[in-house]
Amino acid sequence: MSSKETIGSVMIVGGGIGGIQSALDLANSGYYVYMVEKSPSIGGKMAQLDKTFPTNDCSMCIMSPKLVELGRHINIELLTLSEITEVNGEPGNFEVTVFEKARYVDMEKCIACGACTEKCPKKVEDVYNEKLVKRKAIYALYPQAVPLKYSIDPANCIKLTKDKCGNCEKECPADAILFDDTDKTHDLNVGSIILAPGFKAHDPSGNPYYAYDNNPDVVTSLEFERLLSASGPNQGHLIRPSDHKEPDKVAWFQCVGSRDINNCNNSHCSAVCCMYAIKQAIIAKEHDPSLECTIFYMDMRTHGKGFENCYNEAKDKYGIKFVRCRVHSVFSEGEKGTVIDYFDEAKGVVVRDNYDIIVLSVGIEIDAETRDLTKKLEIELTDGNFVKTDTFNPVSTSRKGIYVCGALQGPKDIPQTVIEAGAAALVSGSALSSTRNTLTKKMLIPEEIDIRGDRPRIGVFVCHCGINISSVIDVAAVRDFAKDLPFVEYVEDNLYSCSQDTQELISTQIREKGLNRIVVAACTPRTHDPLFQETLVEASLNKYLFEMVNIRNHGSWVHKDFPAEATQKSKDLVRMAVAKVAQLEPLKEEVLEIHQDALVIGGGISGITSAKALSEQGYKVTLLEKSENLGGNANLIHKTANGQDVALHLDQMKDSVYEDNNIEILTGAELKNVDGFVGNFTSTIDTNGNKKSIQHGVTIIATGALEYKPNEYLYGEDDRILTGLELDQKFKENAPFLAESKVAVFIQCVGSRNNERPFCSRICCSHSVLSALSLKEKNPGMKIFVLYRDIRTYGEKENLYKEAREKGIVFIRYGINDKPVVKKEKDILSVVVTDHVLQRKLNIQTDLITLASAIAPNNNDKLGKFFKIPVNDEGFFAEAHVKLAPSDFATDGVFLCGLAHYPKPIDESIAQAQAAASSATRLLSRKTINTIGTTAKVNSSYCSSCGSCIEICPYNAPDFITEGNFEGLSEINPLLCKGCGACAASCRSGAIYLRGFEEFQIMEMIENV
Amino acid sequence: MTKILDITSNESKVKKMVKELVPKGNLDLCLTCATCASGCPATGIMDMDPRKFIRMAVLGLDEDILKHPWTWICTMCKRCMEVCPMEINIPLFIYQLRTQWPREERPKGILGSCDHHVSSRGGAMGVPLEDFQFTVDDLAEECREQNGFQALKADIDREGAFFALNQNSREPVTEPDELLPLWKILHMAGADWTYYSDMWGGENYCMFLADDDAWEKIIRAQVKKIDELGCKVFINTECGHSFFAVWQGLQKFNIPHNFEFKSIIEYYAKWIKEGKLPVNSDWNTDNIKFTVQDPCNIIRKSLGDKMADDLRYVIKKVVGDDNLVEMYPNKSNNFCCGGGGGALQAGYTEPRQIYGKIKYDQIKATKAPYVITPCHNCHAQIEDLAHIHEGGYYTVHLWTLICLSMGVLGEEERTYLGPDLAEYGL
Repeated sequence: MSSKETIGSVMIVGGGIGGIQSALDLANSGYYVYMVEKSPSIGGKMAQLDKTFPTNDCSMCIMSPKLVELGRHINIELLTLSEITEVNGEPGNFEVTVFEKARYVDMEKCIACGACTEKCPKKVEDVYNEKLVKRKAIYALYPQAVPLKYSIDPANCIKLTKDKCGNCEKECPADAILFDDTDKTHDLNVGSIILAPGFKAHDPSGNPYYAYDNNPDVVTSLEFERLLSASGPNQGHLIRPSDHKEPDKVAWFQCVGSRDINNCNNSHCSAVCCMYAIKQAIIAKEHDPSLECTIFYMDMRTHGKGFENCYNEAKDKYGIKFVRCRVHSVFSEGEKGTVIDYFDEAKGVVVRDNYDIIVLSVGIEIDAETRDLTKKLEIELTDGNFVKTDTFNPVSTSRKGIYVCGALQGPKDIPQTVIEAGAAALVSGSALSSTRNTLTKKMLIPEEIDIRGDRPRIGVFVCHCGINISSVIDVAAVRDFAKDLPFVEYVEDNLYSCSQDTQELISTQIREKGLNRIVVAACTPRTHDPLFQETLVEASLNKYLFEMVNIRNHGSWVHKDFPAEATQKSKDLVRMAVAKVAQLEPLKEEVLEIHQDALVIGGGISGITSAKALSEQGYKVTLLEKSENLGGNANLIHKTANGQDVALHLDQMKDSVYEDNNIEILTGAELKNVDGFVGNFTSTIDTNGNKKSIQHGVTIIATGALEYKPNEYLYGEDDRILTGLELDQKFKENAPFLAESKVAVFIQCVGSRNNERPFCSRICCSHSVLSALSLKEKNPGMKIFVLYRDIRTYGEKENLYKEAREKGIVFIRYGINDKPVVKKEKDILSVVVTDHVLQRKLNIQTDLITLASAIAPNNNDKLGKFFKIPVNDEGFFAEAHVKLAPSDFATDGVFLCGLAHYPKPIDESIAQAQAAASSATRLLSRKTINTIGTTAKVNSSYCSSCGSCIEICPYNAPDFITEGNFEGLSEINPLLCKGCGACAASCRSGAIYLRGFEEFQIMEMIENV
Repeated sequence: MTKILDITSNESKVKKMVKELVPKGNLDLCLTCATCASGCPATGIMDMDPRKFIRMAVLGLDEDILKHPWTWICTMCKRCMEVCPMEINIPLFIYQLRTQWPREERPKGILGSCDHHVSSRGGAMGVPLEDFQFTVDDLAEECREQNGFQALKADIDREGAFFALNQNSREPVTEPDELLPLWKILHMAGADWTYYSDMWGGENYCMFLADDDAWEKIIRAQVKKIDELGCKVFINTECGHSFFAVWQGLQKFNIPHNFEFKSIIEYYAKWIKEGKLPVNSDWNTDNIKFTVQDPCNIIRKSLGDKMADDLRYVIKKVVGDDNLVEMYPNKSNNFCCGGGGGALQAGYTEPRQIYGKIKYDQIKATKAPYVITPCHNCHAQIEDLAHIHEGGYYTVHLWTLICLSMGVLGEEERTYLGPDLAEYGL
């Protein structure tokens, strides 16, 4: 161990969604964060996206609150236009040299008015818009950018290159232009480093076969994303680039720059392209329902939560055509539109077709700059140039103290990136836990202005939401309408009300105009209330003097074909909100201490990981396991995708929790009851008949799932027919018949992707391929056949699939309507399957059949009720947000990881267990929590002691007073009350009211309908 | 549905052989993605395509694949391999299958051409050297009578000549007048050239026959002779497969040689740039349109788009920039016409013509009345396509147009021109 002092700060390289999530997790759990971003603003690739799969949420809408939170976080220091040049020192105390390029704009002075850009004569390719349009040499990266500060592109600025022009300096009202700005170097000391620089999209230029260089109607998927986007070059109006005609037919080519070692050197699968192509096709269809969309693909890889459902909807509901063919080439260059030939597998002939636009679904690569950085940091990479990690430490690089998350760790989507970001925050912070809160500053909350008795002065802000709202609703008309409503002092419309500059605007107007009530007409308060409320708090206003009107979900989205009516409805909604907000009073929140212990439910690999992660930070954990042994499904698994022995690592993990004094392990245990809420849970646990009650502030759900037991393919009728896990057991036992088998058959999707379980079980393709390779190792002469529907060896697992083919394992695709048939005649097992290429029935006599059986969820209903956490249609727990909160629940203080969330392999389970622990840490380290102000209250003089409220409350908040003057009457504990209003609605005496939703406030709204 | 195939005990010897003998020949790597099939003009012929062919080998249907005549339908044009994500060497896989046919069972036309070539030490048509010598002397004599060509030289085995030129035997044997335009071009460019005598025929049907020994024998003999003569550059006439046979043969058989090997088209472009060939397009006052066939063997399979660009440079100089109408796709992504791979001699006439339909449609889409084919097999196939479909276009060699443009195309050298140009410039 070194004598050097441990530093309580972390440096994060890269300001995309991964870096942002890590930064917020760390800064909110007591560490100071430096975020180093090479471009002028953060946001990364996600900021370029129009919508996100599978829910088609507006990307900017869901990301913006995080951008704003990060931008104004007191414990995050943002270094833009910056890169790491050198790292010395050791884990716990690194000396990092950061090179910061000159911005030529004084960030302190710039007010982001845009006057400079308007007068700048120099046009430059707009990288944010994938060079589809031009921007100016002085620019802000995008309208909602954080920090929203302009910068000068020195390579193109006329003043900086030729000492002419200087328009921006003349125009800038804030005197912010700094032509003599210089590059700077910062030497910073940090305890840990997280690499989150993201990916580069594959560049198809130079490849003559896709005609990308000379046909403007051939675009990359990222370009198409910008074409679809409201903030893109055509304001979201989809056009054919060559002539701006509205397209009739669009095609997507999958695997451009992926799964290809000829046209590029990317043997990996990029893991996201199938889903984003489906998403883009659906959105394009929504733009124009008559549009014909075709996706040409090899294997449709919809292996994530909700993905298969989205794929099925794309086919069945949207009529998107899926053609299984990798198209040879695109031609008709120099003309408009494109021509392609594709192979019709069913007919065995080539079909020629024309498309207005061809979208190349380009894959994920790591750029040369990032490779140089990893080389400089002496970090090991895989053959595909991703950072090498091991299954059991999925976010640790080969260099101690340096961690990784997101695409640099391997190709992945946003939820998986967010999970890894949480994991990286957890492990990087955990290594520094002795220094928690040593470098952080405390947020000073400005004193609240007492507005009681003041005349209401209302500000109304109406949002365009890009074009999400303004493409249907006349935003200006709504704004002007609001101007004339009673007590309204100020109105404004904003491109994005949630962006940082709008927050500054609201804040300024509160101060300057003395506003004391705010209405925002935009999207849903479910995601955006906290953002605006914080803005009020920063402007010294009580956060409950705020109303949100949802003119997007309730307006432009549901009434998109009736713009006039939607505009009228928006006006009505705004009038109601203004009427109500005028009646609102400041409310008070209670401060509660958070119990510092944790309960982890489920002792599988995820639960063990979470428990250990929390214990390592000094928290006491109860680890509850219903069986007699820890380890769960991992006890049954032979090897991981990168060849690591599971039993060996699992034993080490078990030992580490058994030896841990901070962890109490309860096996044979069952949860009997749960009381309380975030910060203060009381759970009753039955351990083999002994009941006990424990207190805990947080709960992690890691209850896992089960391997489905098949009822087809003669399963159970012959001991040569096994499930995937049963085969693993044979490997673990080193059963001799494995090597003796001459022929082995794997059947994929047994119990998955059918009516009963429509989801993809995600791990079975990789697992079968791995097992097939293990069989080949035992007996290289064995003939092995894998019967599949789509091979889904996503990410770098594609290399396993390639290796399997190289070694002669034969893959035969079957259709859902022509499933393989397993037969047993006189002890001879055989499988009949139709070969997808020859379209002929094949018979395979075999010694071993492995059924790649589905992962079936446990019955989660009881647990769901205990913690008020939802279960989705498929039986898995439903997280707070599929994209940005995959390990959290909408219920505070309860977190999720492992198979209980969705099928996933060990490395992903461990990452999510760490992410759940990170979320729990974020909460625990706050020590206190505020209750909500909108709680119910009993007017004792009306209470008839009927007890209805006590009976109906899901949170046990009401109770009878047991002594004193009001004995026998009802009282509501504001600490327990969640403000649901059930009691107020059910009180037959009208004795209960809900603060913020009181009768006179509601009546005022109704009168204004 | 036909009967169920039992593949359990199949041995897949073909697969093993291809893996051992063909570079990038691991057929098991196939993703069955259909890139090859979607880009192959032979897809669907005999209900077969490259993907199915690979699949038969993968599943060990050796008997079927070893006898399947599609082996002779595929022209080994390499359009599949160029884009195959696993870069599987499909053309050489086919070649390897051809080697497995008992020699006497291989297509008679190809076999005969190869045998004639080797036994006559001349060309595929078995013409003795004396006859070739006579034709050359006779025609040279005739040519020297034409105005401006009094000093024209055409000879065989002249030591110390800078260029050695190969000559497909089709012209001297069946249309000797077609020799003259190329000679005139060489003369006007001031090229110091000679034919070589041993294995003088440029064509190489032994390559199509997949007879490595004979193919090698021919190339080695040519190399030996040319090196003996001391020529600096071995120049290939307007022919695709003869170019490829030498280009590939030198590498495949690792044959040491002292000359550089070039296509005549590279020299056309060079000489025009240097002002040695006074071509211009002024003659094309009617703006007659021309399209061009990019021969697979000299473009996709060997010299690439650079060669395609040289070809276009020459054509545009000769017919006018605006009078070249492209086929799509073109250059390295061009479709094989169906005349390659020995198809013209393979005896599968109807499949060859079906194969060529895509080329025919490409040509017709240009609406050009002339197709320039700087390749003998392309020329013959595209002419045949015009014939069977009553296409109404003319198929011309580049040399004809270069001479036409320079005003030196003789009366007898116009076989392939249409009536609009039959008299031009006489």
